[in-house]
Amino acid sequence: MTAPNTQPAVRRRWRGSAPRATPYLFLLPVIVLFLAFKVYPYVYAAWLSLTKIQKGKQVFVGLGNYGRLLTDPIFYKALSNTLLILVIQVPLMLGLALLLAVAFNSALLKWRAIWRTAYFVPIVMGLVAYGILFSTLLNNHYGVINFALESIGLPRVPWLGDPFWAKISIIIALTWHYTGNSAVIYLAQLQSVPGELYEAAEIDGASAFQRFWHITLPGLRPAITLTVVLSTIGTLQLFDEPYVLTNGGPNNATLTIGMYLYQNGFKYFDFGYASAIGYVLTGIIGILALIQFRLLREKRA
Amino acid sequence: MFTATGRAARIALVTTTALAGLATAASAQELSGTITVWSWTAPARGVEAAIPGFVALHPGVTIKVEDVGNPAIWDKITTGMAAGGAGLADVLNIGIDYMGNYVETFPGGLANLSTMGADDLAAQFPSGMWASGSGPDGAVYGIPYEVNTSGFFYRKDLFEKAGIDINSIATWDDLIAAGPKLKEATGADLIAMDKAATVADSAGLWQLLTNLQGAFYFNAAGEITMNGPAGVRSLELIKKANDAGVVADIPGGWDNFMMQIKGQTNVAVIPAASWAAGVFESEAPDMAGKWGLRLPPSVEAGGLTAAISGGTYLSVAETSTNKQLAWEFVKYALGTLEGQQAVYEGGGMFPGFKPMLESDGFIKKSAYFDAEVNKFFIDELGQDTPIVNYTTDYARALKAYTDAQTQVLLSGADPKTVLDEAAALVAGQTERTIAK
Repeated sequence: MTAPNTQPAVRRRWRGSAPRATPYLFLLPVIVLFLAFKVYPYVYAAWLSLTKIQKGKQVFVGLGNYGRLLTDPIFYKALSNTLLILVIQVPLMLGLALLLAVAFNSALLKWRAIWRTAYFVPIVMGLVAYGILFSTLLNNHYGVINFALESIGLPRVPWLGDPFWAKISIIIALTWHYTGNSAVIYLAQLQSVPGELYEAAEIDGASAFQRFWHITLPGLRPAITLTVVLSTIGTLQLFDEPYVLTNGGPNNATLTIGMYLYQNGFKYFDFGYASAIGYVLTGIIGILALIQFRLLREKRA
Repeated sequence: MFTATGRAARIALVTTTALAGLATAASAQELSGTITVWSWTAPARGVEAAIPGFVALHPGVTIKVEDVGNPAIWDKITTGMAAGGAGLADVLNIGIDYMGNYVETFPGGLANLSTMGADDLAAQFPSGMWASGSGPDGAVYGIPYEVNTSGFFYRKDLFEKAGIDINSIATWDDLIAAGPKLKEATGADLIAMDKAATVADSAGLWQLLTNLQGAFYFNAAGEITMNGPAGVRSLELIKKANDAGVVADIPGGWDNFMMQIKGQTNVAVIPAASWAAGVFESEAPDMAGKWGLRLPPSVEAGGLTAAISGGTYLSVAETSTNKQLAWEFVKYALGTLEGQQAVYEGGGMFPGFKPMLESDGFIKKSAYFDAEVNKFFIDELGQDTPIVNYTTDYARALKAYTDAQTQVLLSGADPKTVLDEAAALVAGQTERTIAK
């Protein structure tokens, strides 16, 4: 290199570096917040899951907490409860949301804005209000639901006091809370299905069901994939409903993995074990989400 | 006239005054600033009532009491402790069931009050309660605030209507045997329990029955004893009452408790702790004369008729920036008669401070119960109740027990079997062994 070449090179570098740094500067708040509130807790929880507190000191126990999980009957109970609720509640809710979305989209429906809002309102309802509402409705002695059942000659149902009915109550509350959310996603996707397809099918003599099956459903597939994955993740992390309605009871009938994690961390101060549960839950969610994406993508192809 | 001696005397006088002034200034300087207290509902009102007296002694200090709510306060303290004490209030109101766990799990989380002179107060509190507020090393981490013993509240009118003499009931077996007769005559259930335990823990009755036999979830050595003879006997008594059809299924929680004391749910006996006595009077004034109070029956004839059923402490957070002020306030509120009287007036929590228990007018006849209420509780404190060892695993044992009880009450499971399973579960979750 010769001397005269140096100066332009420096100038060029100077000129070039300024626009390159600016985007990162704008990204900085996001990156800092992500590192502080996401990455750091993940890494710290991973470390915690390898330790336990013994006589006030944190000691490294390797995979001890994970080994303990494998032999913990309560963890298996929580896992099976969560999966049971998942298998029943998610298809039920998404089916309902699908029907609602089609109804909301129908030209036959009057006062559409009111209907849509009415079904979406539960989403924004606060946890506490929601808990009070449902425990009042489902109260064994004074609840309006049992009152209605009795007034038509049916027996009272111990909604929150019986292992079987408590699960049903959680499923009902969960469905009430989140159906509107999925319905809105479907409704949005429905706007992208071209109206000509329906017109052409109608001319060809396709029935309403055939139009739904061959046009609406395929058109909604991306939204269905999204809601199946999101609802699965949401249900696997289920915490709010058992926390406010049944406290995980009776006799652990509605104990979910999220509840068990909370109990270990905040009731038993066993943060290492709670972190291990969190990581196992993350693993389960990752695997299930992967399988779902694969399955639904293959169907589309 | 200025004589030498006169001048010397005057100088001495001036010096002394100046020194005294300095001393006052120094101590006033030590106690300044603001501290915060975390508590909940009635105990918070009690602490608040001690503030005016304390501020009169130490002008310029500010004490703030925050009603954090119970059970929210435990999550809040736990989170703060886990974060190395960040964000905690200066003074914390802590339940006896959490005390040992906080001290052992978070060493250095609570201030060692022994270094501030707390040991001087030891003799003025019941020894068992004092011991549970100290760490394994004997250092004091909490001063007893509430000391609860078990109360046995019963509906005089219902027992009279059924023709049952309450004084003829000496044991729990006697009581349960009277249940069907009482129900037939009055329609009232003997007792209420949250059978599904979906609202609160619902272990109060079992803990009382087990305490009356001198046992608990753990023994003094920390071994698991919940499935021992006493624990099994207690759950068998509960099953017997349930099988006799005299246990009402009432969910836990404050509102349902209020309905019981107001007589809206037809229940004849409420075995609540001593703190409830004040609640009956204030919340259900219409029921005056209908509720009676006596010592609980024993489990075995001639056995204990007293049990310590919980209590709370005031502790100082190690991270408090004004520990001196925090400690002086706790000492004033709980360690002086004046402070105790204000706290009792404000919150009505049953105190453990002996000079308070012995003070004039503390035992007075309650028109509501037609009895000298506080005398029952002082009598109980005088009985030879065992030290209740909560250990660091109380919450686990409580949960395991509650689930076992639910199986007995809802599906008629065998008490011994479910308690053995519960004990094995706790042993598997901890490093404790089951006592032989």
